[in-house]
Amino acid sequence: IFSFSSQKSHHFSRLSAMSVYKLFYFDIRGRGEVVRQTLALAGIPFEDIRLPRPADGPQWAEFKSKTPFGQMPVLEVDGKQIPQAFAISRFIASQHGLAGATAFEAAWVDAIADQWKDFHTEFSKFLFVKLGFREGNEKLLKAEHGIPSLDNFFPLIEKQLKETGSGFLVGDSVTWVDLLIAEAVQVISTAEPDFLDAFPEVLKHEQKIHAIPLIKKWIENRPEQRR
Amino acid sequence: SIMPSYKLTYFDGRARAEVARQILYLADIPFEDVRISLHDWPSLKSTTPFGQMPLLEVDGQSLPQSFAIFRYLAKQFGFSGDSPFESAWVDALADQHADYFREILPVLLTIWGFTQGDRMALVKEVATPARDKYFPLLEKIAKDNGLNGHFVGDSLTWVDLLIAEHVGSINQHLPGFLSAYPSVIKTVNKITSTPRLKEWIEKRKETTF
Repeated sequence: IFSFSSQKSHHFSRLSAMSVYKLFYFDIRGRGEVVRQTLALAGIPFEDIRLPRPADGPQWAEFKSKTPFGQMPVLEVDGKQIPQAFAISRFIASQHGLAGATAFEAAWVDAIADQWKDFHTEFSKFLFVKLGFREGNEKLLKAEHGIPSLDNFFPLIEKQLKETGSGFLVGDSVTWVDLLIAEAVQVISTAEPDFLDAFPEVLKHEQKIHAIPLIKKWIENRPEQRR
Repeated sequence: SIMPSYKLTYFDGRARAEVARQILYLADIPFEDVRISLHDWPSLKSTTPFGQMPLLEVDGQSLPQSFAIFRYLAKQFGFSGDSPFESAWVDALADQHADYFREILPVLLTIWGFTQGDRMALVKEVATPARDKYFPLLEKIAKDNGLNGHFVGDSLTWVDLLIAEHVGSINQHLPGFLSAYPSVIKTVNKITSTPRLKEWIEKRKETTF
């Protein structure tokens, strides 16, 4: 058995009919945060298991071969594993009214999420250097990857928010992609405070999503907030 | 109720649209299969939601992003797994495949003639490590699933089509590249021998990509 930090997100006696949820990830927000927030917003109690970085302990090296794809996050539902953050988020969201009101809306949620992933693949070449995760020429990477990817992606989000007019990215209620984008905006704004100033709807959206009571509560109590 | 109209717009090739065409054909759903030349694309680009293709239009309503399109059509027509858990696994494997595909794409773009590059060097230095990281996992998945001709569950899903299409593309240009993965090849062969899919593959136009 591992020793790692873990906490129950709610304390109450479990009914025997309820599924048991465990999320395994590193002790960072990263790719796990959208999953944690989706679980929180769905009102699902889960064990938020955080493994130390490989440099800080053997737990990940030991657990890796027990995961489906040798990666995290992994969700365990009654002992059955699901890998890949978006697959997990969609699995939870679609069973709790957080994936759009229709099949077509759910598809648009997916489309925006995948468009964000394409953006993030490019943008992280700059961001990870800025945040100190890797070595690199920050200024050059910002010019070649950071700004161009930002300028390709966020106008689409700004336009989408103006079109729905609901304050949400798809339809008129919150979906898991709202959580994904708001989290990304928070990360970017923390790293580069004025980077998203050209996108007022995007900034408003982040405020709105993070004011949703269950999300606000999650953010206030997450380990990263208390450091 | 009246069936919606489906229009799929992409370049004149398989790549990121083929799975959508296959789902519609397998479901026997008529659709407009629009193919845009490289020359005509720039003027069309700004009319699309994300400036990209493929684009699906359902009764004139646009949907971008290939996997969103595949998953939507798969769900409509019964190719997304037999339970929410299975659907999640189809999604997870597809995303894992996409991570691999992102790594190998520069090699494919050179092979397909879209970019200049040293093909042999790219195969050795980029495609081979990407393959060696991902295909052992696929091999294990095929075996763990009982070598039943599917990568997830026991019925045809869009991730079966996704992987089979990619393996077909690799075999087209790099024969033997996947010879170390017999369970994957066996599974793909079973997938492509699904009668209606076999028919589509045999009669479709041959394209480089």
